[in-house]
Amino acid sequence: MDTELLKGTLSLLILSLLSRKSMYGYEIAATVHRDTDGAFTWREGSLYPSLHKLEADGLIVGEWEEKETGRKRRYYRLTKKGRAALEEKVQSWGELCRAVNSILEKSDGQA
Amino acid sequence: MDKLEHYLDQVCRYVGGPRSLREHLREELRGHLLDAAARYRAAGMPEEEALDRALADFGGPEEVRSGLEATHGHRLLPVVIDKAMQWKERTMRAKWLWASWAYLAVGLVLVLEVLFILFNVVYLVPKYQKLRYDGLIDPAMDEEQGVAWMARFLHGLDAVAGHLGAWAVIVPAVAWGLFEWRVKSENKPLIRLAALGTAAVALMVVVVLTAGSQIVSFYLGAPAAGRMVRPFAVEQAGAIDAAVNGIEQAVARKDWADAGKHADQASAALNQLSSGPALASLAPGNQPMPTGELRSHLRAASDALPEVRQAIRDRDAGRLEAALKEFSKAYGPVREVAKRPAR
Repeated sequence: MDTELLKGTLSLLILSLLSRKSMYGYEIAATVHRDTDGAFTWREGSLYPSLHKLEADGLIVGEWEEKETGRKRRYYRLTKKGRAALEEKVQSWGELCRAVNSILEKSDGQA
Repeated sequence: MDKLEHYLDQVCRYVGGPRSLREHLREELRGHLLDAAARYRAAGMPEEEALDRALADFGGPEEVRSGLEATHGHRLLPVVIDKAMQWKERTMRAKWLWASWAYLAVGLVLVLEVLFILFNVVYLVPKYQKLRYDGLIDPAMDEEQGVAWMARFLHGLDAVAGHLGAWAVIVPAVAWGLFEWRVKSENKPLIRLAALGTAAVALMVVVVLTAGSQIVSFYLGAPAAGRMVRPFAVEQAGAIDAAVNGIEQAVARKDWADAGKHADQASAALNQLSSGPALASLAPGNQPMPTGELRSHLRAASDALPEVRQAIRDRDAGRLEAALKEFSKAYGPVREVAKRPAR
């Protein structure tokens, strides 16, 4: 899949995943890989600038936690502001999808 | 794991913000990469390959770093330090730079030495020879042990430069040409540098001998000039005495005009004696009276002379006698020194 398209939607994906539960960075990447059957061929390192940007904007918050494996991991969870931003982004994404699909449907068979 | 830490260094080192942020960031990224490598190992991949794969999936360090710097800013100091270290590494390895520097330094020394010797041969040594010829530098020095070679050296240098100057250029040029043509050693650049350094040392010896010979000869031979001045100073002292006698005789004849002429002669002789090295030559080595003391006596005599001239103009014999007494009192010590034989 085109990574340029992914770049614009990465923050939406992160917020969406974190709305399910708190996750750490590798878990987010692995979930994206699993849920999309590896459709996104992205560099996992690009996840962290986005996570830190979202945290700096107050949409998510990260906390160090030590779970059953004994390794400390930084878990991110959605804030109230982040949840509102997610709703807004989901709505925008829907509108964008409808608009893009509309163009694609009307152009179907003319390529 | 060194590869992992090196990668984390490249990503985290330049990220701005407090140290704790970089430490947390490093820990977070390390955890991700270890998880990713563990996944590949679980799939049967060797440890090193698993880590390589995890790093490749994560992306290039510059890409990740620039994304993080966009959020946290970047640190200027490590960038400057790293650039300086890279420059140092490149510079230390730049053999051509150090070789060029060495050639330039030795070449500059050679040029300066040649210019110094040329300046001496063309300008200073002839002047030195003229001073010797005129006797202003004591010719007796030619007999002094340990010093006589200096004059011979300067004479020889003058002769070599005058008659063999062309050879001094041709021989080194031919030697250099032969060296460049015939020598094939892998140490050729070092041999060339060593030869130039040796030439610089040899010329430095000539420079030191040239300068030293002139300076030492001049210091040791200069007293001859003082001995030549003394007869002049004694002559001026005699002229002053003659002028004073002339004034006394003219006054006895009531010839005030002649007395005035003698007073002018005394004034002129006083001026000659007080200017230049004449007065000092009367007391070589500042003995038996320091030159400064002699000079103050001479100044007192000069100060008394206007009163003598005024008394002559006023035709006042009594006043003139008193003024001449004052003059003689001030001038007496100078006269005494001038009468002593030269040492």
